[in-house]
Amino acid sequence: MFSAERQHPVAAVTKVLEIIKGNFITLVLLLFVTSGESMVSLFGILSVLLVLLVSGVLSWLRFTYSVVDGELRIEQGILVRKNIYLSKERIQVIDIKAGLLQRMFGLVEVEVKTAGSSSKAAKISAITREKAEELKSMLRTDSTGEAIDLEAEKQLLQNYELSAKDLVITSFTSGSFGIALSIIGTLFSQLDQVLSEEQMLYYLETIIPASISTNMVFYSIVFVILLSWLLSFLGTLIKYFGFTLKVYNKELIIRQGLFEQRQLTIPFNRIQAIQIKEGILRQPFGLASIILESAGYGEKEGNSTTLYPLIKKARVEDFLHKVVPEFDNPVYQSKPPQRALRRYLFRMVFISLSVIIPAWFYLPYGEYAISLLLPAILLGYAQYRDAAIGIDNGSLTIRSRDFALTTAIIQKKRIQRVSLKQNPFQKRRDLLSYLVTVASGNQGRSFDIRELEESAANKYFDWVSPEYTPQAKPGADSREIADTDTNTDTDT
Amino acid sequence: MKSEPQHRIPRTAVKAWRISGFLVSLFFWLAPIAMWVFDTEGVVDLWVYLVIVSAVLAITLLITFLIPHFRWKRWRYDINEHEIDLQHGLIIVQRTLVPVNRVQHVDTRQGPILRNYGLSNVTISTAATTHEIPALTEENAGTVRDQISRLALKAKEDV
Repeated sequence: MFSAERQHPVAAVTKVLEIIKGNFITLVLLLFVTSGESMVSLFGILSVLLVLLVSGVLSWLRFTYSVVDGELRIEQGILVRKNIYLSKERIQVIDIKAGLLQRMFGLVEVEVKTAGSSSKAAKISAITREKAEELKSMLRTDSTGEAIDLEAEKQLLQNYELSAKDLVITSFTSGSFGIALSIIGTLFSQLDQVLSEEQMLYYLETIIPASISTNMVFYSIVFVILLSWLLSFLGTLIKYFGFTLKVYNKELIIRQGLFEQRQLTIPFNRIQAIQIKEGILRQPFGLASIILESAGYGEKEGNSTTLYPLIKKARVEDFLHKVVPEFDNPVYQSKPPQRALRRYLFRMVFISLSVIIPAWFYLPYGEYAISLLLPAILLGYAQYRDAAIGIDNGSLTIRSRDFALTTAIIQKKRIQRVSLKQNPFQKRRDLLSYLVTVASGNQGRSFDIRELEESAANKYFDWVSPEYTPQAKPGADSREIADTDTNTDTDT
Repeated sequence: MKSEPQHRIPRTAVKAWRISGFLVSLFFWLAPIAMWVFDTEGVVDLWVYLVIVSAVLAITLLITFLIPHFRWKRWRYDINEHEIDLQHGLIIVQRTLVPVNRVQHVDTRQGPILRNYGLSNVTISTAATTHEIPALTEENAGTVRDQISRLALKAKEDV
């Protein structure tokens, strides 16, 4: 228990940087607008900086944190006071980070996450590492509310480190093209603020038609893919640099990061689900990554943490057994029946047509986009082949594929809701889509499997109900196994 | 499979939904009216008006008459000490099961139209999702709310 304290003064600077980061585009625009008159812009920049600095110092002065009666209390706000009281029983994850600025002063940033959507970030942006550790040990308790015996807590059970070679392989195969592409897209969208409209038009009207050719289209596609691959390589390398996973009695501690070092503390009883993800670049090499869902707030998309970035598929079960034993038993009992195959295929055809048709009409050489059709159909087949679901006493396994093959292991007691969905086309074929949601971030994380047979879907639906008792229905079960068999036959 | 949930939404819900559907459809009428008001020169052909007006008319009929009825017809719910069981959806039928001990809070909400008919929506929130049982009678909504919150309290587990 300690009395109200201020952060390290560096917090004033991090606050300023945070504001700049949050309003980056506005500030850049402001610069461009005022760039004509040098005196005005200089004065403008100086006054903006001054205002930011003053507000940074004020917010540092008005920010205090304390631990009272097992409650983390943060009071902040220059004009509007905002008080956050978090009781330690509610804390999901404690996230300790150190950015470049913090590391120069030997400081860290502490973020405390609870479940629920209405609470705001409880973030202390600059305190010494000792203070952070002290804070952490005060806030970590067992479920009875008593402070954990520190000795038992500190007993290290497992220690995993990502070797340099594995780090490079992780980065090579990360394939987070989506993120990299969006970065490139953002860069290009900023381009029009640098180039004037006349220049762009001139370029579009004279240079492009003269130089355009199949080769150019081809090379530019290759160039963009290579560039985004390079970005995703570097991004992954920086993110997972020095990755270590330590397993203690009651919690997991993950450290990672080159420039921004991050330390995550995740209590075991806060883990909502585990995902085994085999990306398309990793699958051929029998590699996977393991992802953990916890219920922290903040990120809209859900609160996923990489539990381990790269692992051989064959070692996954052993790893899960040692690290998260509650999730070590993936079971597959039912698959979509054969009549579901055409729905899987049609779906991918429709999705790819929604890209191909606009490309055909609006892009030069867009008709080549038709070559996407075959990979799309193959992907649809792979999605059909890989979809599987199973239950044992306490946990549910759902395996499905978008591009990457994802196996989710979910404990029954963590399921927030289960849904069955059926559209008229599915009704005609007695097929249903099955969906479960666990808490993760603001909106939770959902896992679904499409086109299950009605009886199978109903079985897994009923299983979620707390009053479910396993009933012996040999007839129904044997038919399911038979279905599974025919599917595996068609695979080989 | 468990049998379908048994409880239904009161029939007065259809009336309330018709009125709110009609009010919403009025906004769609703003488009052709605005076009007619600003088109003083008569640039827009008559057939354009005809197409737009018939489209808006179709929307009006749909959201005032058809959708409220079929929505009411589909809605089913059940609440027992273990779970909340919901079934709804016009075209895509969705059946949802929420274990009661996952419920974080329940509240009842009503706008002016629902209040006029003595109806109230019940909103059920878990740590991940939010579900709504629409247009129950005020009395029943209160009962349902208290029932769920009592059951949720009894089975309190942390996330």
